[in-house]
Amino acid sequence: MPIPAGAPIVVSVNGLVKSFGPHRVLNGVSFDVRRGEVVVVLGPSGSGKSTMLRCVNFLETFEGGTITVDGAPVGYRSDGQGRRRMLDEKMVAENRERVGMVFQSFNLFSHRTVLQNVMMGPVSVQHRDKSEVRKQALELLEKVGMAEKADQYPARLSGGQQQRVAIARALAMRPAVMLFDEATSALDPELVGEVLRVMRELATEGMTMVVVTHEMSFAREVADRVIFMDGGAIVEQGVPHEIMANPQTERFRSFLGTDRPDRGARIA
Amino acid sequence: MDWSQFGSFAARYLPQLWNGMLVTIAVAALAAPTAVAIGVVLTVPRVAGWRLLSGFVRAYIEVMRNTPLLVQMYLLFFGLPILGIFWDEITCGVLAVSLQHAAFLSELIRSGIAAVSPKQWEAGQAIGMRRWAVFRQIILPQAAIKVMAPVSNQLIVLVKDTSLVSAIGVLDLTLSGKVIIERSGASFEVFILVAALYLILTSVIGAGFRISEARFTRRLG
Amino acid sequence: MSISVLLANLPYLFQGAVVTLWLAFIVVTAGTLLGAIVGTIASGGGRILRAIVTAYVFIFRGIPVLVVMFLGFYTFPALGIRLSAYAAVTISMIVYVGAFVTEAVRGAIAAVPAGQVAAAKSLGMRRLTMLREVVLPQAARLAIAPILNISLMAIKQTSYASVVGAWELSFAAREIVERTLAAFQIFLGVMMIYFLICYPISLLANFCERKLSFDH
Repeated sequence: MPIPAGAPIVVSVNGLVKSFGPHRVLNGVSFDVRRGEVVVVLGPSGSGKSTMLRCVNFLETFEGGTITVDGAPVGYRSDGQGRRRMLDEKMVAENRERVGMVFQSFNLFSHRTVLQNVMMGPVSVQHRDKSEVRKQALELLEKVGMAEKADQYPARLSGGQQQRVAIARALAMRPAVMLFDEATSALDPELVGEVLRVMRELATEGMTMVVVTHEMSFAREVADRVIFMDGGAIVEQGVPHEIMANPQTERFRSFLGTDRPDRGARIA
Repeated sequence: MDWSQFGSFAARYLPQLWNGMLVTIAVAALAAPTAVAIGVVLTVPRVAGWRLLSGFVRAYIEVMRNTPLLVQMYLLFFGLPILGIFWDEITCGVLAVSLQHAAFLSELIRSGIAAVSPKQWEAGQAIGMRRWAVFRQIILPQAAIKVMAPVSNQLIVLVKDTSLVSAIGVLDLTLSGKVIIERSGASFEVFILVAALYLILTSVIGAGFRISEARFTRRLG
Repeated sequence: MSISVLLANLPYLFQGAVVTLWLAFIVVTAGTLLGAIVGTIASGGGRILRAIVTAYVFIFRGIPVLVVMFLGFYTFPALGIRLSAYAAVTISMIVYVGAFVTEAVRGAIAAVPAGQVAAAKSLGMRRLTMLREVVLPQAARLAIAPILNISLMAIKQTSYASVVGAWELSFAAREIVERTLAAFQIFLGVMMIYFLICYPISLLANFCERKLSFDH
């Protein structure tokens, strides 16, 4: 399923620079994501891939570079004299509506039921009609296989179930792009498959996705493009069956070689 | 009041208040160790698992927790003479404060001991130590670290609660303030001084506790 | 020594208990409201606001409530505000309890997991929406047990109002003792009345502490 080169750009990251104190974690990262494209970001822990993803949603501030989602600047704008100004809270929030995010630790709202979790964004942020949202939420829960748990509280669900609800919650906002931040890393091995299945289905339906993961088979089979990051920079990128079969750099080769073959072989 | 003269105002009343402060410090210095000692004694039956005594201790703690210190103090000061026991106001005040805070302290100490993982008991017994040896050498030091902060907080509450001895006529910092206002017609700012002195007292004691906590934890941790 | 003197004076003591309950109700309700508002504002506010709130909490937690009562009792008239001892004590206690509740609410808000906030932000929630939909409902759960314990403290402290001259249960008890000299029976009886008021709240606080620690 090749993405036509003319497809509009949804996410554009340009020269992204980010430090935690004296430690620089992102050192000029640039890439574009086109509509319908599935980009999988690989890299050892500490390579900056999760931080990069959080920057796209402005959950992290950054010192240099620009990010746009659907053409709108994320986090900062230029004031015309070349200086960066942080966007006001309203614009930051509006940007985030266009971006769906799935976290490693699910982060379902523990005081709300499954259905209320999925409805919360559309109702309290987008002020959409409640009965219409409810219908959409139930459809989404059906899609992720969680409809029968609609009235349960998150604490009663397994990690895999919680993560599927979290995906439905993000989708309910009708985002332009979905970000997955190590969505299966906190799960027990036997629960990883059910979450990857949902993600795979989304990809087939043409959802634009940026996926940070350790699941090699998911990268190999689902990604349109794989980005390999190390030391806060993009080291290699390309079509998975090319670059994963034939890595151009020693770092990617050793990463592929050592990254736990048991995990790579898992059925996605 | 003209605030520019607060300095000379303070200079005028501070000596009298200082005497009251010394009484407050004395009452606290007597009550705190007494409360800790009684609190430790109250904890023994519950940790040792003596059923009947634990029941009495728990009843005692509930009564102390759920009734006001002031009424307990009145009971001691005004009630005991009826039973033929005559104690002066300082003794009654110190005793009332100690008895009440012993209950809270015992509860804190017990939960501190309970918070040490049961695996520590097993580990101690696994290397052949007797129960008492395990308790003294393994459980107690760990529990001590856990209870230091809550016990310090409780003792600061104790210092504040000594102000109630003024109600039975002990001329402490609080009563000194009241006496100055009512006998020498001084204005309400006297009580700002009283409040400030209490604040200094509790913060100095709090800081002292934090420093010794840090040292203690470093030595044992 | 007989308890007939206690029984004979029970109606009067109950009148005092009603005043105590009212005083406690007003102080706990208003103090909780004050602390909830101040604690919430401080959690989202700027540096100066936070410093002011920290000072408020530090000062009132550092001095005895009895001194705060005297402060209120002597200060209001000096400022030209004529208040009854009862009103002065009520206001003083509300401010005092408010400081404790502020600290509890601040702690509860700080204890809401960072992931919940990140999730709320990623749904595009703005600060007020996030506070209303996510942070406060979760913080409320965490704050219930501490606030119940503060309420317990406040109920017992209403007895100190008698020292400043406000009539309530303890004051009534002293009046009876002065008349009958039956200090032992009367004060023991009064302790029982306080116990009946406080114990249910004590049980509720314990229950909440246990229940909330299991769920989260």
